[in-house]
Amino acid sequence: MGGASRNDKKRRQEASDRRLAAAGIRPEAKSAPDRTPLIVVGAVVVVAVVVGLAVWFVNRPATEAVTPAYASEVSGAVIAAGTGPVVIDVYEDYLCPQCERFAERYGDELTAALNRNEITVRYHAIAILDPLTNPEGYSTRAANAVVCSVPAGIFPAYHGWLFDSQPVEGSAGLTDEELIAAGTELGATGNFAGCVTGGTNSPAIAIETGTAAADPSLRGERGFGTPTVAIDGTKIDLNRTSWLQDAIAAG
Amino acid sequence: MQRYLVPDVIGTLARCGLAAVWLISGVLKAVDPDQTYVAVRAYDVLPEAGVEIVAAMLPWVEIALGVLLVVGAGTRVVAVASAAVLLVFIAGVTQAWARGLSIDCGCFGGGGAVAPGETAYVEELLRDTGLVLLAAWLIVRPRTLIALDTRGN
Repeated sequence: MGGASRNDKKRRQEASDRRLAAAGIRPEAKSAPDRTPLIVVGAVVVVAVVVGLAVWFVNRPATEAVTPAYASEVSGAVIAAGTGPVVIDVYEDYLCPQCERFAERYGDELTAALNRNEITVRYHAIAILDPLTNPEGYSTRAANAVVCSVPAGIFPAYHGWLFDSQPVEGSAGLTDEELIAAGTELGATGNFAGCVTGGTNSPAIAIETGTAAADPSLRGERGFGTPTVAIDGTKIDLNRTSWLQDAIAAG
Repeated sequence: MQRYLVPDVIGTLARCGLAAVWLISGVLKAVDPDQTYVAVRAYDVLPEAGVEIVAAMLPWVEIALGVLLVVGAGTRVVAVASAAVLLVFIAGVTQAWARGLSIDCGCFGGGGAVAPGETAYVEELLRDTGLVLLAAWLIVRPRTLIALDTRGN
């Protein structure tokens, strides 16, 4: 059917063109495809990409790492870093991606303030995301390992490594062997391996998690979550990026 | 022109609907870059650096597509781009679902995390498919009312 109907269409088109010409109307010449939309859309999208990269570049945390120069000690599942006057409670689960973001964003700022002895940070090792690995339980194993890292003398470095190497939710998580190997590499002393495999601090972590989850002052819109930061028992709004400077200024 | 009014109106609604979705989702992502990073990372398909870059650009590209649709400039090209981005989203959600990943941020532990997880995947896929249909309409028939494309007609 194609050929015949095409010929027919062509004939009718020519006839119509002749009629239009007779009436003094010149049909618009078939021009090359109009590239304007493609160019306009391309240009706008390129601008968007450039804006995105610029915003990202500006908001990146400073790349020069601050070397920690403070002591830390552990009590139960709470690691107290530094001895400054402003006491900041940080509740974190080592599988929680937002906690990784928190460490990435405010890690250097916290370290600098700790070095200046302006603050004490009490890191509460929390395990609320145990069901989100397969097999379950990575949150508790990671929290246990970070508490083990304090007596092993590798605390701030190991804490940073745990977030840098954070497994994805739904994965198997890091194995005990991987948790131990990283500690050994950082120069862990004492029986770090035994502390990790033995789950020495797991009961304390379970108690700490329960206490934090039951504390009404730590609750957000959807109950207790991580990361939660509290100063003097009051939950801090982390969307206000100056929260740390404000707290130090308020003394 | 009266005979084209109905398809023109349908096209215009498709254009506005798609524009609204891109603008709202783009702005929500742009104001919370950390959440966007976490969301992109959760799909577990990109390396760390790729996650950073995709999370940085995605909100602005979505806003750009939304703005172009609002003014009605290059509607067919934008519809093709929208469909392409949506198909990538569908692929991402599907692979996450198939691999049993928890796509929810999961930062709020506690009960009920298992049952609603499954419903969310279905809803997301249905929503994205609906949006692809809107884009498909505009690819086939990009003519709409009150658009820069059709100025002077």
